[in-house]
Amino acid sequence: MTGVSPVEVERPVGGTEAEEDVPWVVLVWNDPINLMSYVAYVFQKLFGYSKEKAEQLMLQVHHEGRSAVAHGTRSECELHVFRLHEHGLWATMQHDR
Amino acid sequence: MGLFRKRRVQRVGPGRYAVHLQGWEQQLLTSLSADLRSVLEESTDDPSVRRLFPTAYHEDPERDREYQVLTRDELLQRRLAALDATAATAGARELDADGLAAWMGTVNQLRLVIGTNLDVSEEPVQIDPDSDEAPGYAVYDYLTGLLAEIVDALEGGLGDPDPEVPASP
Repeated sequence: MTGVSPVEVERPVGGTEAEEDVPWVVLVWNDPINLMSYVAYVFQKLFGYSKEKAEQLMLQVHHEGRSAVAHGTRSECELHVFRLHEHGLWATMQHDR
Repeated sequence: MGLFRKRRVQRVGPGRYAVHLQGWEQQLLTSLSADLRSVLEESTDDPSVRRLFPTAYHEDPERDREYQVLTRDELLQRRLAALDATAATAGARELDADGLAAWMGTVNQLRLVIGTNLDVSEEPVQIDPDSDEAPGYAVYDYLTGLLAEIVDALEGGLGDPDPEVPASP
């Protein structure tokens, strides 16, 4: 929606090919600044989640300190993290376990 | 004037958003955007803007270092683009979805920087109006209200067709 083409993260940094198939998960962490309505909106915008699901994830971030908001390959998750960072959310990624 | 202050931002149709900012608000947005641009151009590692370039691999510092090298410039350019677009349209009476998204990006990153520097918590605090921090909190609170209105307006537009995508034949 920004009119700028999405960044191409074609090849994740480092790692082996086998590792690329290991599922990764994107976490969003609570912070004292981002508005709850803003966080829920970003989840709808970036992931196409319903308003209900977006609010559920947002409340989980708010009450539990963090929430897993997306899963995928390393490439996919790096792109999600990049877009979440662009929107000012504190997102990280780790192996899905 | 009554109880209902005119909203600053309001969706008025698919991809169309009416904007009602007073002159001082337009000037505030423009000058804050320019201020943040200056700091970002100086260094993205400046402590005051670190919050805008977070860790991606929280369990793997080596990978994160590589990620930051790969993405830092792109993220910086996107942040600067939002600031520039907002400053350029600060006097607009109407914005399209991309234009308002740029405002959202600008207001959000300004809140993050100002809020981090004020070390705000989730709880509201009493601020001494004579303190040095009072103007910062006033700006922060103003941006909070503006962001809430922008989000509300854009939420209403989530189903709008993407103007970049041509209609299928």
